[in-house]
Amino acid sequence: MTALRTTLVDTATSGKARLASDRWRGAPYLLPALIFLGLFFLAPLIGLLLRGILEPTPGLSNYAQLFANSAYSKVLFNTFAVAGLVTLISLLLAFPLAWAITLVPRGWGRALLGIVLLSMWTSLLARTYSWLVLLQASGVINKVLMAFGVIDQPLEMVHNLTGVVIGMTYIMIPFIVLPLQATMSAIDPMVLQAGSICGASPWRNFFRVFIPLCRPGIFSGALMVFVMSLGYYVTPALLGGAQNMMLPEFIVQQVQSFLNWGVASAAAALLIVITLALFYVYLKLQPESPAASATAR
Amino acid sequence: MNAVVRENQPSSVLVSLRNLNKHYGDFTAVDNISLEIRDGEFLTFLGSSGSGKSTTLSMLAGFETPSSGEILVSGSSLINVPPHKRDIGMVFQRYSLFPHLNVRDNIEFPLTLRKMTTAERQKRVDAMLKLVQLEAFAHRRPAQLSGGQQQRVAIARALVYEPRILLMDEPLGALDKKLREDLQDELRHLHRRLGITIVYVTHDQEEAMRLSQRIAIFSHGQIVGLGSGYDLYQSPPNAFVASFLGNSNFLRVKSVANASASFEGQSLTTVPVGGLTAGQDVLLMLRPEKIRALSVEAAQQTALPSGWNEISAKVREIVFLGESLTCNVVTPGGTELTVKSLGSGLQNVQPGADVRVRWAAADACLYDQWNDADLSKGAGAH
Repeated sequence: MTALRTTLVDTATSGKARLASDRWRGAPYLLPALIFLGLFFLAPLIGLLLRGILEPTPGLSNYAQLFANSAYSKVLFNTFAVAGLVTLISLLLAFPLAWAITLVPRGWGRALLGIVLLSMWTSLLARTYSWLVLLQASGVINKVLMAFGVIDQPLEMVHNLTGVVIGMTYIMIPFIVLPLQATMSAIDPMVLQAGSICGASPWRNFFRVFIPLCRPGIFSGALMVFVMSLGYYVTPALLGGAQNMMLPEFIVQQVQSFLNWGVASAAAALLIVITLALFYVYLKLQPESPAASATAR
Repeated sequence: MNAVVRENQPSSVLVSLRNLNKHYGDFTAVDNISLEIRDGEFLTFLGSSGSGKSTTLSMLAGFETPSSGEILVSGSSLINVPPHKRDIGMVFQRYSLFPHLNVRDNIEFPLTLRKMTTAERQKRVDAMLKLVQLEAFAHRRPAQLSGGQQQRVAIARALVYEPRILLMDEPLGALDKKLREDLQDELRHLHRRLGITIVYVTHDQEEAMRLSQRIAIFSHGQIVGLGSGYDLYQSPPNAFVASFLGNSNFLRVKSVANASASFEGQSLTTVPVGGLTAGQDVLLMLRPEKIRALSVEAAQQTALPSGWNEISAKVREIVFLGESLTCNVVTPGGTELTVKSLGSGLQNVQPGADVRVRWAAADACLYDQWNDADLSKGAGAH
């Protein structure tokens, strides 16, 4: 929690204008990290991008092939729809949870936060498989619903996008709860009292004062979840079906089944470009840094 | 207050607190308070922290629900009215501005919650910005303002919707002394100009004196003194108020007859007090500036005016404080007295010298009941 908040504050101060001489004072200390990133991240990334335009023959044929293929545009649509839906649902679920963690007495809040963190630290595969157990046609949920007579035949909740959305939402909730809870606990409760004495009913106070003050946490959490969802592989691969693929599955399929490195690289490059574009939009939409309200306290 | 006041000014009472109580478990924060706040007055709740003044204010604002009792505004109960429907303005100790809105939007916020045309809103916000002299800062965020400016925004935000009552919870506590005094003057002028009812909470008695028409002194959840600063200071209703407000000397005397008492074997003249029996312990209170200390020679040259008392004492310490001179003296019986002199009357007196201490009987206050703990400063908190 503390670590998260300090990084947020750091970005806030670095955003402010500083003297030019000060700006590069600490630069030499960046070197080890830069060398590491250059060797193990940038170099392979450039290699990947080059593959997209060099294999099998130099040119933009891979991209042409991608855009000509309607299956690919469907994959792209699936990816964005799932990522958007996952972000929205996790926001709706994480907001009350973060609020509860902030409001309940100290010890209980920490216990709740512990549960959130624990679920995050548990193996991703184990958690995804347990959803498979829960959601499949002969799974617990279907059996219970059928026993109570709510449904006549099992719901198809797995091996399709529904399963993907359910599984991924569960996995993404902590990534919204953590920044949101940090933002909420930094809000001065007296500001909400001020809102109500000014004449704001509880509802209006919530939408006009509380939500705007939570905005930095909502934005950073939602962005993190959306971007992570775009590139998520394990959960869609296990809970999704062969019919409705997401982009990472498509890339893996191109590499593993068709050994089509060129198309896979082109698809990956597109994913990176889209992510960067979204990040730019986020920065534009969010004039104040994520820590703005936290520091204004 | 009482029947007489009500008959003279029938519409004068705006807020009535009746037998108000607030308990937190076993702890009694507010203990059976009854108080009437007049329309248009500047009333201050004065007390040390934990004396119940802020809790009372919170109940008035609606953030706390009374355990029992009644709050009436213009005759109708506020108990079940939520804060946002009370039509009360409030200024908080740490300003509590909306950090995501600029100055103008902060002031406009209460108006956006009310049915009002945009033009009317603009007009009111402009008037408020002018009133608190922040026109040039209208587009700044609260974080970009100094403490004094933030507090002025908070005042503007509380006044812009013209509430019936303005509550202020130690609004100047976080500011430095000079700025605090400037804002105190501004507040007093603002109150005079707008004629709004202000209930102000502070632990700073000088601030209470400077601002308010009436002061309610809180101690252990009760109001132990109510009146103008002048009355409370000159004739405190009890020993606690005497000790809490300003500086005071306490002499333990024994009542002899209706208007006389004895102190360490010396006979004193007092104002006549009914209901005292001879031999009863009485506490006599003297303000330091009401006492004169004269050297033995000077005392011989100046006759004791009628209605004055004189006792002998020894000077322990003299402290020069610029505008005044403070002299600590000890009586033969060991009672310490502080004498404050504005003139040069004490110039010839040296520490260790014998002096004659004089005061007019009319300047002393007598109490037949008191709690020894009340006589020390800082009493009143739980």
